[in-house]
Amino acid sequence: MKKPETAVTKKKKKPRSRAGETWHRLKKNKGAMIGLAIIIILVLIALYTSIFWDYNTMIVKVNIPERVQPPSRAHPFGTDDMGRDVLIRTLYGTKYSLIIGFGATAIGLIIGVLLGAVAGYFGGFLEDVIMRATDIFASIPAILMGMVIVCVLGTSLPNLLIAVGITAVPAFTRITRSMVLTIRNQEYIEAAKCIGTPNLKIIITEVIPNSLSPIIVVASSRIGSCTIQAAGLSFLGFGVPAPAPEWGAMISLSRNYIRTAPWMTLFPSLFIIIMVLAFNILGDGLRDALDPKLRR
Amino acid sequence: MNVEVENINQTENEQLDTCETVLEVKDLVVHYELEDETVEAVNGISFSLKRGQTIGLVGETGAGKTTTALSILNLLPDPPGVIKNGEIIVCGHKMLELKPQELEKIRGKEISMIFQDPMTALNPVMTVGEQIAESIRLHEGLSRKEAFERAQEMLELVGIPGERAIDYPHQFSGGMKQRVVIAIALACNPYVLLADEPTTALDVTIQAQVLDMINDLKNRLGTALVMITHDLGVVAEICDLVAVMYAGRIVEYGTLEDVFVHTRHPYTEGLFNSLPNISDKNSELKPIPGLMPDPTKLPPGCAFAPRCQYATEACRAAQPTPTYFNDTHYVLCTRYNEPDFRLLTRGI
Amino acid sequence: MSDVMLEVRNLKKYFKTIRGTVHAVDDVSFTVERGKTLGIVGESGCGKSTVGRCLLRLLEPTSGEIRFEGIDICGARGSELKKLRKDMQMIFQDPYSSLNPRKTIRDIIAAPLLENKIIPNATKKDIDARVLELMETVGLAERLFNSYPHELDGGRRQRVGIARALAVEPKFIVCDEPVSALDVSIQAQILNLLKKLQRDRGLTFIFITHNLSVVHYFSDDIIVMYLGQIVEKAPAQELFENPMHPYTKALLSAILVPEIGKRKERIRLTGEVTSPIDPPDRCRFEKRCHYACDLCNKGTPQLIEVRPNHFVACHRVQKDCNTITAGG
Repeated sequence: MKKPETAVTKKKKKPRSRAGETWHRLKKNKGAMIGLAIIIILVLIALYTSIFWDYNTMIVKVNIPERVQPPSRAHPFGTDDMGRDVLIRTLYGTKYSLIIGFGATAIGLIIGVLLGAVAGYFGGFLEDVIMRATDIFASIPAILMGMVIVCVLGTSLPNLLIAVGITAVPAFTRITRSMVLTIRNQEYIEAAKCIGTPNLKIIITEVIPNSLSPIIVVASSRIGSCTIQAAGLSFLGFGVPAPAPEWGAMISLSRNYIRTAPWMTLFPSLFIIIMVLAFNILGDGLRDALDPKLRR
Repeated sequence: MNVEVENINQTENEQLDTCETVLEVKDLVVHYELEDETVEAVNGISFSLKRGQTIGLVGETGAGKTTTALSILNLLPDPPGVIKNGEIIVCGHKMLELKPQELEKIRGKEISMIFQDPMTALNPVMTVGEQIAESIRLHEGLSRKEAFERAQEMLELVGIPGERAIDYPHQFSGGMKQRVVIAIALACNPYVLLADEPTTALDVTIQAQVLDMINDLKNRLGTALVMITHDLGVVAEICDLVAVMYAGRIVEYGTLEDVFVHTRHPYTEGLFNSLPNISDKNSELKPIPGLMPDPTKLPPGCAFAPRCQYATEACRAAQPTPTYFNDTHYVLCTRYNEPDFRLLTRGI
Repeated sequence: MSDVMLEVRNLKKYFKTIRGTVHAVDDVSFTVERGKTLGIVGESGCGKSTVGRCLLRLLEPTSGEIRFEGIDICGARGSELKKLRKDMQMIFQDPYSSLNPRKTIRDIIAAPLLENKIIPNATKKDIDARVLELMETVGLAERLFNSYPHELDGGRRQRVGIARALAVEPKFIVCDEPVSALDVSIQAQILNLLKKLQRDRGLTFIFITHNLSVVHYFSDDIIVMYLGQIVEKAPAQELFENPMHPYTKALLSAILVPEIGKRKERIRLTGEVTSPIDPPDRCRFEKRCHYACDLCNKGTPQLIEVRPNHFVACHRVQKDCNTITAGG
């Protein structure tokens, strides 16, 4: 039921910008705040471990006497088949998932948004070419695409980023194009043309900033799926090369021990789930907060 | 066709006889309670309608007209809308005290509403005949076939060929869609019809036709009509009574002649002076300066005082009380406490 | 000799769709004199907004000539077009979608100043000062400088749109239903503002609307459009006192006057509306016209002057007028 319009827009005691309004609404969503808190904690863990922990002594040093130990006071998450502390490796592995999660999404966003904006704004032949290419690209399974790219470029963190990033492009292209199709008929775009603004400038300064809301929502949930994809590729051996404690790689190395030493696979899996859940819940909350129709 | 209409009237004559005043609104106060502030949308409205009468609720955006209409049907979005005070009586039923199931029986049958935008008021995946029949089946318990036949009759009544009952909304133009909406609203022959700016979205020539049709139907079926509009031309065309609303109150109320010929309230005067005069091209428009007040911060005195050229300290200090000019005509204006006060350009 | 600022000849705008070619604007010609206002009136689908947009090259005309101060602007490209844009501006209909919701009022009004380098070697202070000047001209309070559109009501937003249009110091402004979305008292404020601006700055206006009383008040001359064609053209008062085309008569009879006792005989328009897709070469109003006769299928009626400065496109009216002039 649409609320009838009131004569004058309500003037709040302190006028908020749109970002401020969004943040204010987001704060009320407990799930989203928990998700945000988890993400902040994970980021802090990643920063702390990368700066202060010594990779060689703590993460990769083989320690055969202590291999395959169940969780204990000395090793709260147990040890893996090389005697390395699972807790320490899991915590250190946070950085890989975060880097790929954010990085791949960023790559997908930048390329996808530009393509989608151009397709939506100019229409015609250009739009057809871009969108059909996107469709073809999106119909190839992402894991397969990732494998092919890593095969060509080689296994390393940057290449993994590119592989996962490229598979994230279609989602952004599509969402941007549909937003742009709506926006380009708005009168303020006509007004911008009227005063002589060149098309590229219109796209960058008028169109894209107004399409941000759904793009942000797609991005936040993409981070979760990029993380899973990276873990999947690493599990298959196409990801960050051993002995890096990337979560997917850790699960892969421990697969023979699933029955006998489940802690080796359990903890990295748990962390993947927590991180992806956190981003998804935050994404849901952002979507609700950004939706002006839900304003009461 | 006409015979059937008369039959409807006849069977319900017994009920109608007991229901002379079809709608009564008493001291309605409605607020929208938001997180930071409260919008005082309606601040004490009272009016009543007899069978077959038409009242125009006139006012600009934010005056509280739509809120009033939704409150009558008890359809306010809650939260944030809250009816703080008031009574609404439709043919003896106290709308604000009824349970949802009882309300459902009354809505559509004894009182119904048509909204401004015909484009979104119809379900795009149902034929128009089905949509009219739905209301009939719900309230009158007819079989599917019988209800559909009645639906076709309703279409004829609003000037659309009955064969088109099997068409979908997108196959009709804007004006025709609005007629379908009217057919749905009048299908069960309600006592009262609420019409919220029903012709604003339509072209000029269609607007006149649809208004004529509403008027004609209303006279034939004896329906009372609450016409919500900002257009004084529409009011002049079909209303018997006029209530001019400002900031949630009725500032002037009377018969058509009272308000149009013997205009008393400065706001009403301002509305008339804002309209271009077709007979005199060179007369200047005299708009009302300023804007409607913020409904979250209404002033303590008369809400129109900040914009009123006649305002005095007394006006700003306290709420005006009604001044009556005859049985039907009153205004809310403190200046009329003075015996010689007159408007400068109207009501002379 | 009158000073013609804009001359439009045989303007056509067709849209190709799956179902055929939509003749949105079909062979429209008119002139506008400097300092005057031309009103274009018609119902939805008549093509009036399309004409407005073609004049500003927001839509590319399919064919025809548009001469602004003698120069054909249809062929203008690039920097030439940009220069023209400084002279011709538009005020849009919807105050809610004509302002970028993410920009402040200051940025919205400053954009045309910056884009067209109106103030040479401008510093931020220069721009800000000019923006404040413009805001004052249109009646916007200084405190709204850093506000966002969603904080303003419809009337104020429309004033921002007017300030934006004035920023480039145009000579000619197309107003596309500038007050239709506003409340009555705000409408009057904006109309007065527009009239004052015209007087003070010698602006020339084209005023597009479906509201007959407003167009009568604001225009010197009026064009009535129906399905892409001009059916009648006359000075404002003349049109209202002596409407000649049957469609104009129907339109005028449909005006609801806010006075009692003035109920007129309504001319009801019944009958099919001709489709704008590939229309046949005959009068497009014939099927709904109560005045129709056997002349109506003899090709599209042309605009002929039947009274001084009063043009009508109707076979029967022209024949009647000829008979009168021939007979007497």
